[in-house]
Amino acid sequence: MLSRLQCSLGLMVAVFLAGCGESGSAITVSGSSTIAPLMAELAERYETETGIQVDVQSGGSGRAIADVRQGLADLGMVSRALKEDEQDLEGYLIGRDGIAIIVNSANPVRALSDDQIRAIYTGKTQRWESGPGEGRDITVVHKAQGRSTQELFLAYFQLENSQVQPDQVIGENQQGIKAVAGDPFAIGYVSIGTAIYEAENGTPIRLLPLEGAPASLAVLAQGNYPLARELNLVTHGAVSQPVADFLAFVTRTDMADVYHDYYFLPAVE
Amino acid sequence: MADRVAWLAGLVLLALVMVPVVLMVTALWQQSADVLSAGFLLEDPGRAGRSGGIAALLISTAWILGLCLMVAVPLGLGCALYLSESLPADSRRAQWLGGVLDMLAAVPSIVYGLFGYQFFAITLGLGFSILSGALALSLMVLPLMIRSAEQAMRAVPMGYRQARDALALSRWGWVRRILLPCAAPGIAVGIILSAGRALAETAVLLFTAGYVLRRPDSLFDSGRTLSVHIYDLAMNVPGGMPRAAATAVVLVGLLVILNLLVRRVLRQPMTEALV
Repeated sequence: MLSRLQCSLGLMVAVFLAGCGESGSAITVSGSSTIAPLMAELAERYETETGIQVDVQSGGSGRAIADVRQGLADLGMVSRALKEDEQDLEGYLIGRDGIAIIVNSANPVRALSDDQIRAIYTGKTQRWESGPGEGRDITVVHKAQGRSTQELFLAYFQLENSQVQPDQVIGENQQGIKAVAGDPFAIGYVSIGTAIYEAENGTPIRLLPLEGAPASLAVLAQGNYPLARELNLVTHGAVSQPVADFLAFVTRTDMADVYHDYYFLPAVE
Repeated sequence: MADRVAWLAGLVLLALVMVPVVLMVTALWQQSADVLSAGFLLEDPGRAGRSGGIAALLISTAWILGLCLMVAVPLGLGCALYLSESLPADSRRAQWLGGVLDMLAAVPSIVYGLFGYQFFAITLGLGFSILSGALALSLMVLPLMIRSAEQAMRAVPMGYRQARDALALSRWGWVRRILLPCAAPGIAVGIILSAGRALAETAVLLFTAGYVLRRPDSLFDSGRTLSVHIYDLAMNVPGGMPRAAATAVVLVGLLVILNLLVRRVLRQPMTEALV
């Protein structure tokens, strides 16, 4: 019994020691969990193309700032614009994420003001006031807690989640689009890239402008769409050549498809 | 009559507990039906986890869990031996140490994660690595490990200790031949619970072992465990849900197998010793 124990202990120590070899230097990227999956896929492509390893770590935009300042990561992923006290960092805009307010295309509504949308989502406005849906109840489609789209939506309209009176709570963008496409009296909000793609491919939804800014990728790309956020990579101090190469790689135009795959808009199209 | 009522009530309560479990497993099973296959276990993940399988994650998980237990089990048993053999249960020091351990066991895991990040990853310079993750994880499970082993050791009958003194058994002989075998089932439960907690942990590992999907080449490489993968696929990856569910099915299966295995291995020496 004991000898078997000794054998297995010995084996474990051997495996441990064998594992202690120093690994080759890699680029470390850390930060926003929103960007991390996209970056993981870009890193995967970079590795196959160049053989240089890129480690992607998740944990939030705040951690990105801390990690690059401490030198634990070469690049930080920050899914918002840099703040005033973060001017020691260099930011590189790699993409944008926006939210579009959508209604069914049978709905004659062409625009709603921010106040009207706030009133609908808090339950102050219960019915459509004109068109064929006049007097009909509005189906309010809201996103589940923990989705970044939901957080962004609430922050823009200055709402607490408890104030929102939803008729339907959904998870993914696709679910939101189906909910609005199948109900002429529904209103919802989804990631702008998905909404545009679906609307162009015949799904009966309409994207409403926000405060006069049409919900289009062109407006988003110019930075003029209000309900949007930047996706940034940040560095601290001097940028080494491998990191600069990787930065150039992730902003290459032929990587645009990868961004679209995660419903983001690449900064360079 | 009263017996019958109690029996029925017990049955109803049992059903109430089992229904959610069955529902959970079927829901996971249905969501993962298209993905789950032998290939899922043998392939490496691709496209941030949206294609391929979980082979690399199984390897990372095994390394982290194995290393965590290699650190936590000897340390835990040592501490439990000291507490149960050198300190009377009602002494002030035993009470105080026990209280501290219970408090540590109740600390939210994210605190261990942040500590592990600051201490192992930054101060000791281990970075995001399997080593940082396993060490932070072993800190998290140690209190549980020590407490359950200590209780198992204290539960060994007083008569055995008196017999030991009467026969003038050596300390090591007593510990190895009688105390450990007798306490083995309790210790086994402690190990199972610790391993279960470690397998289910995401918060600690997100900040220490990290998020990388590659197979680890060494203990200094970052590696993603199954539960971190489930969390990420379900929360952050568009269209990641089927593979998150499939990974969850694998994780639940692993926990069941682990349970059965540790119980079987540790039950044998006890019967041998006592017969």
